[in-house]
Amino acid sequence: MFNYFHNHFQAFNRALVRIFSNFGSSLMMFIVIGVTLFLPSSGLLIVENISQISNNIVYDAELSLFLKKDIKQDQIDFIQSALNKTLAIKKTHFESKLTAWDKLQNKLNLNPLNTGISENPLPDAFFISLNTFNEREINNLIDNLKTIDGVENIFFDAGWIKKLRSILYLLKIGLAFLGIILIIVLIVVIGNTIRLQTLTHKDEIEVSKLIGATNSFIQRPFMYTGLMYGLGGGLITICTLKLTIEIFNKAAFNLEVMLGGTFILKNLIWQQNLSIIIIAILIGCFASFFAAQQSIKKLEIFK
Amino acid sequence: MINFEKVFKRYPGNMDALQNINLEILPAELVFVTGPSGAGKSTLLKLISSVEKPTSGTIVFENMNLSQLKTKDIPYLRRKFGMIFQDHKLLYDRNCFENVSLPLAINNIGGLDINRRVRAALDKVGLLNKEKIMPISLSGGEQQRLAIARAIVSRPSILIADEPTGNLDKEYADEIMNIFYSFQQVGVTVIISTHELPITPIKHKKIHLIGGELKDQTNYVQLLS
Repeated sequence: MFNYFHNHFQAFNRALVRIFSNFGSSLMMFIVIGVTLFLPSSGLLIVENISQISNNIVYDAELSLFLKKDIKQDQIDFIQSALNKTLAIKKTHFESKLTAWDKLQNKLNLNPLNTGISENPLPDAFFISLNTFNEREINNLIDNLKTIDGVENIFFDAGWIKKLRSILYLLKIGLAFLGIILIIVLIVVIGNTIRLQTLTHKDEIEVSKLIGATNSFIQRPFMYTGLMYGLGGGLITICTLKLTIEIFNKAAFNLEVMLGGTFILKNLIWQQNLSIIIIAILIGCFASFFAAQQSIKKLEIFK
Repeated sequence: MINFEKVFKRYPGNMDALQNINLEILPAELVFVTGPSGAGKSTLLKLISSVEKPTSGTIVFENMNLSQLKTKDIPYLRRKFGMIFQDHKLLYDRNCFENVSLPLAINNIGGLDINRRVRAALDKVGLLNKEKIMPISLSGGEQQRLAIARAIVSRPSILIADEPTGNLDKEYADEIMNIFYSFQQVGVTVIISTHELPITPIKHKKIHLIGGELKDQTNYVQLLS
């Protein structure tokens, strides 16, 4: 058992020697892997951040219930009590048409005489905060509320969030496809590099075969080389992501001072960082395994 | 130990490298495979070491029929042989110690055992003081001795040498041959292909090939004059 690990250690050592003896080209390979993985990872980072924002917004979602213009006070009281009895509703806020009209005029600095509006065009309205975020329950509630006499119209204010979520979902699918395509590209690039390395070490492979090395023994240093390419590339991806976040947040902070808004990119959590490294390592191992296997088979001396 | 029965080897283009070879090599024998260029000497050695497969016939080594050996078993068979080549086939990006230790790594031998056995093998061929030197810095004779150290380090029962002195001048060639004789005397079977039969002080067998056919298979005891 000790000898088995000793041999793996030696193969690992040999791979390290190969990487450091061609450090320039190894570094290029790290950068190629790092930048290629950076593209889908940065997409994931943006989507994750926007998703978090949309998740926060949904807690402020409200139903706006507009009443008929000719509604009477006793009907309003009836609707208020009906709303209070509904479990899915957390709280309600009634806004009379007069208050709404005053607010609108103040906000837009309107003068009815100048605008030519002779009467208040706004209806009485209830603004309802919900206890549930379940889409089906919300739709059921809307259907029930529509049946109440005096209710003119209902708007679910979080409708745009649904659209945003759909867009994010599509983006995630797009990123997954982009990720798959880039992984294939990486497999080809790493595989080709490993294939070239097997040609460079053709003599060594042939000698090893002649003195009894199995293909898996010969393959081992190439696999470790692929593993190290993946590890190096993965680390570059994470460093580049962190650097991008730092630069973006610094710029966002300056804009915040000017515009008064806040949008800070959050780092990927450590599990996501670890996943990026593991994926990079797996790509490296997978690509080098198949490339080395094919090349070593081609160099078979047995006829 | 090794038996050839009606062995034929034909290369693409209907070129017969070996025809109807029947021979037997016994344990601890010193065997010279002689003949002119193209006689089939290298092919014979390649068949023994399973680098090539016979077109027909049977080659039996330690009760294994090499003609029917599965590809996955070939590396394990080759570990039983020590192979020496005319062009040494050394790894020039590794030092002498690393070159000699390669068969041990392949045989899953590790740690202190590697150190001890590599140094013993280098000592046997007189290169102990050059273990850290790169092979490119060695003379032709020294490189061949290094190749011999690599071949003997895993203590094989058979040494196969394909024209081991072909590129060396007489002084170095004698030196290399003496190393082979010393191995034969401790019970190792040594098979050497060569253009010319050297003057050997010990009992040996000569297998003479011409045009792929076995012309002579004789046991000799030749004494130094």
